[in-house]
Amino acid sequence: MKRVSVDIGGTFTDCFVAWDERCIESKALTTHQNLALGFNDALRNACQELGLDERELLSQVDSVRYATTLGTNALIQRKGPRLGLLTTAGFRASVPLSRAKGYGVGLPHKQQMDVPNAQRPDPIVPIPMILEVRERVDYSGDVVMKLDEEDLRDKLRQLVDKGAEAVVVVLANSVVNPVHELRIRELFLDEYPGHMLGAIPMLLSHQVAGRKGEYVRAMSTIMDGFLHQVMYHGLGTLELNLRNAGYDKPMLVNHNSGGMAQLNSTDALQTVHSGPVSGIAASEHLALQTELGNIVATDMGGTSFDIGIVVEGGVKHYDFNPVIERWMVSVPMIHLVTLGAGGGSICAYDRMFRTVQVGPDSAGSDPGPASYDRGGLKPTVTDADLVLGYLDPANYAGGRIKLNPRRAKQAIENELCDELDLSPVEVAKLIKATVDANMANGIARELRTRGYEPENFTTLAYGGNGPLHACGIARALGVKRILAPPFASVFSAVGAGNMNQLHIHEMSTWTTLFDANQRSFFSDYARFNGIVEELEQRGRDDLLRQGFTAEQIQYRLELDMRYGNQRVETAVVTDLNRVTTPEHVLKLIDQFHTRYGERFGKGSQTPEAGVRINTIRVCSFVEHPGISFTGIRPSGKPLPPPPPIAQRDCHFVGHDGALATSIYGEDALTPGTQIDGPAIVVTRATTYLIEPGWRYQAAQQNAVWFTQIDA
Amino acid sequence: MNDLNISADQQAMLDRFLTQNKLFFAPDPAIMENHRIEARSPLEEQLLSQSVDRHKINEVRGLVVAALDESNTMIEQMGAAPGAKWGDMTTAIFTASGDLSMIAPHGVGGFAAAVFYPIKFILKYWVDEPTVGVKEGDGFIHNDARYGGIHNTDQSMMMPVFWKGKIVCWLSATIHEGENGSCEPGGMPAAAESKFDEGLKMPPFRVVENFELKRDIVTFLQNSVRDPKLQLEDMKVRLHSVLRLRERVLKVLEEHGEEALISTLRLHIEDVVEEVHRRIRELPDGTTRTVSFADSTLRENALLKLNMAITVKGDRMTVDMRGSSPELLNRSINACQASFKTMLFTGFMQNIWPDLPFTMAVFTPFDFIFDEKSLINGSFDTPQAMSLIPLFKTMTIACIPMAKFNYMLPVRYTAMVAPQYDQPATLIYGGLTQHTEYVGNFCADINGMGQGGRSHRDGEHSVSPPFAAHCDLGEIELMEEDLPIVRLGAFTLAKDRVGFGKQRSGLGYEQIHTYRNSGLWGFMTGCSGSLFSSAQPLFGGYASPTYPLCKVKGTNVFEFLKEQPDGLPLDIVEIMNTQPIPGAQYSTHDMGMTFELAAPGELYMMCQGAGGGYGDVLQRDPDLVIEDIENDLISHATARDIYRIVFDSDTLVIDREGTERLRADERKARIARGKPYDAFVAEWQTEEPPAHLPFFGCWDDTSQVYGVMMGQRMKMDGDKLASMFMLNPKDVQIAALQAEVASLRAAAGG
Repeated sequence: MKRVSVDIGGTFTDCFVAWDERCIESKALTTHQNLALGFNDALRNACQELGLDERELLSQVDSVRYATTLGTNALIQRKGPRLGLLTTAGFRASVPLSRAKGYGVGLPHKQQMDVPNAQRPDPIVPIPMILEVRERVDYSGDVVMKLDEEDLRDKLRQLVDKGAEAVVVVLANSVVNPVHELRIRELFLDEYPGHMLGAIPMLLSHQVAGRKGEYVRAMSTIMDGFLHQVMYHGLGTLELNLRNAGYDKPMLVNHNSGGMAQLNSTDALQTVHSGPVSGIAASEHLALQTELGNIVATDMGGTSFDIGIVVEGGVKHYDFNPVIERWMVSVPMIHLVTLGAGGGSICAYDRMFRTVQVGPDSAGSDPGPASYDRGGLKPTVTDADLVLGYLDPANYAGGRIKLNPRRAKQAIENELCDELDLSPVEVAKLIKATVDANMANGIARELRTRGYEPENFTTLAYGGNGPLHACGIARALGVKRILAPPFASVFSAVGAGNMNQLHIHEMSTWTTLFDANQRSFFSDYARFNGIVEELEQRGRDDLLRQGFTAEQIQYRLELDMRYGNQRVETAVVTDLNRVTTPEHVLKLIDQFHTRYGERFGKGSQTPEAGVRINTIRVCSFVEHPGISFTGIRPSGKPLPPPPPIAQRDCHFVGHDGALATSIYGEDALTPGTQIDGPAIVVTRATTYLIEPGWRYQAAQQNAVWFTQIDA
Repeated sequence: MNDLNISADQQAMLDRFLTQNKLFFAPDPAIMENHRIEARSPLEEQLLSQSVDRHKINEVRGLVVAALDESNTMIEQMGAAPGAKWGDMTTAIFTASGDLSMIAPHGVGGFAAAVFYPIKFILKYWVDEPTVGVKEGDGFIHNDARYGGIHNTDQSMMMPVFWKGKIVCWLSATIHEGENGSCEPGGMPAAAESKFDEGLKMPPFRVVENFELKRDIVTFLQNSVRDPKLQLEDMKVRLHSVLRLRERVLKVLEEHGEEALISTLRLHIEDVVEEVHRRIRELPDGTTRTVSFADSTLRENALLKLNMAITVKGDRMTVDMRGSSPELLNRSINACQASFKTMLFTGFMQNIWPDLPFTMAVFTPFDFIFDEKSLINGSFDTPQAMSLIPLFKTMTIACIPMAKFNYMLPVRYTAMVAPQYDQPATLIYGGLTQHTEYVGNFCADINGMGQGGRSHRDGEHSVSPPFAAHCDLGEIELMEEDLPIVRLGAFTLAKDRVGFGKQRSGLGYEQIHTYRNSGLWGFMTGCSGSLFSSAQPLFGGYASPTYPLCKVKGTNVFEFLKEQPDGLPLDIVEIMNTQPIPGAQYSTHDMGMTFELAAPGELYMMCQGAGGGYGDVLQRDPDLVIEDIENDLISHATARDIYRIVFDSDTLVIDREGTERLRADERKARIARGKPYDAFVAEWQTEEPPAHLPFFGCWDDTSQVYGVMMGQRMKMDGDKLASMFMLNPKDVQIAALQAEVASLRAAAGG
């Protein structure tokens, strides 16, 4: 297999090239002004390692796949067109009010609690650009107020006169009956034909999100409209760049649903967070190929700590209303939670409890940790790691950043030592223990709220700081082994290369499988099957458009179910694709019962209150061969450690005084290498910290296992 | 009767008899009036008198908070009550003595802050009661505010955690359930005239044995409410979230030992007490005062005063509420002092010290002074189902006196903010849904109150309820899927209804409700603030506006819209002014409406409100005024008449010199209208409230309190308040009509 996959992040563009049996990792700085330049640099680095010309490589690969943060950056910078929003009369303030809680969405808990300082984010669509249209559809799709077309034409004119560069239409209950949204587009095209110079795009909410919830659907549609141009130009430039370099197949774009598609079948919102989601996709692929079982994937970077879950047996964990930047949206995104814990997390004295508080505030990369010497005065986790001796000041981040140990120590002394009555080293150990515990608590919470226990999972630690804190996290989590996965430094790019071409379509429904009041069972099979058929048809159309045949397409039916009037919507993946008998109905109820009990505890189920399906979702996909992970488990006779390249005194949590610690270089990645802690392995990509009582075992493809020695 | 000389032994014998022969385990004032944390238990004293590893404590705290977060997330995801879906719930952990130690990071902390009262009741009365007892696997339910709580819509599950045969801590989970079988659907009956109209009144009792719900008791509770499905579902939810929390706590005990857990729970609250002492010490010594008024009993208009004086001396704070309205014996808006303290504490956490851990220990350095039988220190026999009326005001009232204390502080713990809107401006509903289910509850709009203006910027529109941060207004589409309600007006910012100021308040929004596809449906509202401004301003701003309830009856709007889809403006003001539906009856009311059945297609219209303004309107940046016009928040007239801005109506270009002149003129006019304080007092001060005013509370002297008994004004000593008995509003109306008939007959000559 020959393939290129790319994860364009905020700082680095990671590239992974699979070239038959060889796998190449490469990185380059992201070039925000033209993403193609950074991509070309990263690709050039990979080609040099392969000894190939870029054209030679691109002309032979089966695909080039992208995950990108382009959308996130555009949102942060508010780089997008002036949007107009048309919404149902009586709903004008729905978006500005953002369900009240919008002031705190996407912020740390501390800021959510501080209501007197509440501040909603600057709106993407300001109030003057939101106009109402007179129409109303009720929950079941009945039209209770016909669209006032005269009023509509006037509103359209107003928006265009106000300079709208795109129009977004969000009408109440349009997902059950889109008649008015569709009519608005007809009239719009009538007034502003597409071939005219002044033509502007119009987005209809029911085509962006199929699920009820007018606010989150509005934000999804708004974001799609806002990001469309910048994504179109950004990705279009990339595709053109590929064409000019000899690539003649469609470029594929990763989605936050865990799938991918061609540009012509991708909307902008689907690309947001596709980078971190690709990491989870890589974890899933890794689990499937290597029988690792359940996986919790963690990515510790400079400012944040991402957690994702992959479970055996096909259970899918989605966020139906994920947060993008500062807004909730409606899109089935692979579940991903982000904690404010990273190398840049700021450490402060907690006056009340007389201890240290780590995060959620971050020094980011500018000014960054105090040791970056860029003006940061607050101590951070990276400063603590430096004081403890884990980091090589001259070779941090592949030598790209020089660290100043004196600054790190000074910041800890100034801010924490007197208050805590501890030495800088003791404070640094306390910081390390605290941030490791915070991350472990975050992992435990994520797993346990879904009914899982950490000990039944393999924890993956990747990202810039993951292998450095792996042992500490494992210890705090109470697990005895943790894996720095293969190709950890470009793991999301690896994931980008492993996705299937997939489209998710879903529809809100009021389907009562068991009616508690009537004590009757669902029997309108035709309606249910009709919805499934329609959703399959939409997915089929998407994939046929991209050149597949109907025979290549597979479908997976997922149902979001609940008891009575509960809020919970537990996703149930079923092997049924149609319901035709009472046995099928009972099977669905039983599948839900089992999954719910696993999640919330045996006996917590209340089928006696009724069982409902809220959303029907069909995942239509075409499988692609993935990257092959081989030999990632230690096997054979262990190799002794290579000669250390240095020796340092390091300090470890739970150990008094400094311990002489051997430092190893790249050759420690040789498969089979076994090193007992305390030790440190420094590679171009990252630093592996082997704490006392832990063992390092290198496997194929740069996979590294940390195992508690007495385990 | 002979005087007896009773010896100590005899007295002990008599006391024993009394203890053994108790008719009724009523709410215990000794528990209900004590808001402070208990003294250290001998074990706590033993553990904490030794050297304590603070960082170990912090590690254990992290584990407990993660467990609380997990259990709270479970309730949020599993809960069936509308309240659970919007964040109206929480989980908590208490010391073995029953003091609240920590709550989940999200949710309504006030719930947990009130649950320590029933836990202390269980500890005092049930542990040693032979017919009850407390053992491992037991779970207790509770909802009666007289035993602790806010109101009896909130149901809690409380469970002891045993370790080595002893209770080491208590756990709780609380959800605002709504429906509770009261005389009106939804659980908050304004019509309740005695506590026996309030529906379920559960003192703490065991409903779980061996970690399982007792189905006979569950059935009794289901049989007592309109929504048996909800009752069952959420009892399971609370139980299983507490069980999950227990599982985690046991893990902490296994891994870190009981000493670590007990020390953590206790030290957590002691540290908070110490921090609050430190914060009070930062304030200047002195007294600041404020008053707040509710303008309705929800049955009749009345002016009910909350009178507050806060005194800071050293590291203690005294809250003196004497002079507040007397209690109303047959109205449901009374609150007991435990509920009052809980809500005042909630307000402090939301507006003054949001960075503090949410534990009632915050109030340990506080002293309280109340009049007995006052509206916010009501006796246990008064109905309290709509205690929200004084309690919502309680949550914002401290913004004013605390702003005065905080103003000169070099470092504040949050921004200075004028009170947010403080009325439960949400529609309560009940009846049969389109899915043939009986329900009774309220809409999520309660979570969207406008914020007051702030020292550094305008208030946010509809930002939160006063009782919790980061709550959710939900989605109208999802609400309509469950209920027959159609929100023709969902979210329309209430233009010109603003707390004006240098920094204006956030706005509330209009709500236009109707329904279809139900054979039985009705609405109620439980708000004051229709006649007297609800949210007070700060430092010279304007108060929030008043808001009426408007109805359009005798018509079916859906029929009308079929014929004339363009005929109905979806704007309350326009509907009421233009009366577009021929033949319909248009009426305006105060927002205290007891439950009434509605016909399909009738309109019930109300507003979520704005907070108070901050600072003088003449200091508002003219550019911000124009921005408010552009955002359709205010009219041109408001800009001119209130803010004194001169601008071009078409282009909105500001005439800055003209504005300065207009503002200077207004300042001069103010001076001309003004008068020396003594002259003002001489002109305005009266001995008594105006005779026509149904006034409740002190007038000037806090020791003298006015009330209205059976329609007659009363003046009482504050320390000897009587419970006010109110006339039946229908009797009052009949009497008025009879008088009118008599008068007309007399005029007609016979």
